[in-house]
Amino acid sequence: MMGGYGDVQLLNDDGSRLDGRKVDEMRPVSIEAGVLPAAEGSAMVTHGLNVAVAAVYGPMEAHPRKIQRQDRAVIDVRYNMAPFSTSDRIRPGFNRRSREISKVTAEALESVVLVERYPRSKIRVEIEILAAEAGTRCVGITAAAVALADAGIPMRDMIVGVASGKIEDTVVLDLDKAEDNYGQADLPVGILPNTGEIAFLQMDGDLSADEFNLAMEYNFKAAKEIHGIMVDALKRKYDGGEA
Amino acid sequence: MVELVPSLLRQELARLAEEDNRIDGRGRWDARDVSLETDCLYNAEGSAKVVIGGTVVYAGVKFELRTPWPDRPTQGSLMCGAELRPVAGRKYEPGPPSPQSIELGRVVDRGIRESGCIDMESLCIVPGEKVWGVMIDIHVLSDQGNIFDACGLAAIAALRTAVVPAERFDVGEDHKLLVNGTPIMASFTRVGGRFVLDANEQEELGGDERIHITLGDEGHLHSLQKGLKGVFTPAEFAEIFDVAQKRCVELRELVAEKEGN
Repeated sequence: MMGGYGDVQLLNDDGSRLDGRKVDEMRPVSIEAGVLPAAEGSAMVTHGLNVAVAAVYGPMEAHPRKIQRQDRAVIDVRYNMAPFSTSDRIRPGFNRRSREISKVTAEALESVVLVERYPRSKIRVEIEILAAEAGTRCVGITAAAVALADAGIPMRDMIVGVASGKIEDTVVLDLDKAEDNYGQADLPVGILPNTGEIAFLQMDGDLSADEFNLAMEYNFKAAKEIHGIMVDALKRKYDGGEA
Repeated sequence: MVELVPSLLRQELARLAEEDNRIDGRGRWDARDVSLETDCLYNAEGSAKVVIGGTVVYAGVKFELRTPWPDRPTQGSLMCGAELRPVAGRKYEPGPPSPQSIELGRVVDRGIRESGCIDMESLCIVPGEKVWGVMIDIHVLSDQGNIFDACGLAAIAALRTAVVPAERFDVGEDHKLLVNGTPIMASFTRVGGRFVLDANEQEELGGDERIHITLGDEGHLHSLQKGLKGVFTPAEFAEIFDVAQKRCVELRELVAEKEGN
């Protein structure tokens, strides 16, 4: 992914990015809660050109029985990219990438949901990426958190998916497609906005300690911003008015 | 997941049918509100979102370059598939494509293919060497009944807005996909002993067989499918065929309206 560094210019002469954003500026985010009537909770998140939908079913009986945990609920996450979500069509079905993302996303959500409230049960979280333009795993996490809240599942905190990275030796917030393809590093995290803890962490590329710290600073700033949008979306649905 | 069919629901549906009523108060041939949105997916070359009641479906069109079949060197190809992933409802489980999702994709595919709205010859770039493969993928996100009509409508609306990405594949200029016609599906389910249009999820749960009719612009039949256990009479078919004609005209106008914008 990070192999193309140097081939493509990603910063303008004035230091702004190709789409005009500042280095610490994220793409526009909008969120709607309760978009899928069949689900117990759902959300649609548009983040730049990314579109992710999440649906929550349960808590329900966990079966087969061997997946049951005596003291808590298991969270069953499926992250899936729709065939038409990318430039080249994706053949339907799971692949190694989506399996890994599903696994670490489930573990992140298990860290915030009060799973001990529902022993032996299962909570299904379905994340469907309808349009992908870099950063879909983060958008999926944000959508999942809003869908869980919409389903009335108790959580210690929300969880916000955000990413920073490095392009042309410059740390930037929220990589777009070109920056992801030709940049030098990507640092996606899942942040608990109220406690300031981190429940999801991945990284690839090349970052110095200072660059890492700056990228994290950007991530926390963005998480706070997105968290406000998440809360607004839920308030719009449940308060029936402006947040 | 096997769904239990509550006998109380069946009894209630039968009672309502006797009063010529439905569980949500609709008349027998009344459909729920339909909303159609096109060009709504950034990476798809054509796209549509259809909402019918609580049913939500997306369709996206993608193109690929391929070599033609040896026996049809001047023809491109069309493929339409539907995915019924676990996102669509509590009853859906992960795993390989279910017989239900395969049936759904194939019934939609037949309606579009057999209507002849896509001229396969127009998808030829270099005879014997290079043709377009058109792929329509349908994604059901929320099933609250009658996903067939939602999928059929989303597929044709997405196809009719599709732009052939010739520049990206270096084979000429981008151009609108040529689509001659708007095949539309109308689906009927036997509920409480009689057929109704556009069944909701409760009516499907407590109902019997379903019939899917796809009609072209001239009102000709292009695809028929009977699904689930049950039998019907020619007289019953004649009755729903009449309703289908009206329903398809309405939905076709909705597609045309969206294109006019």
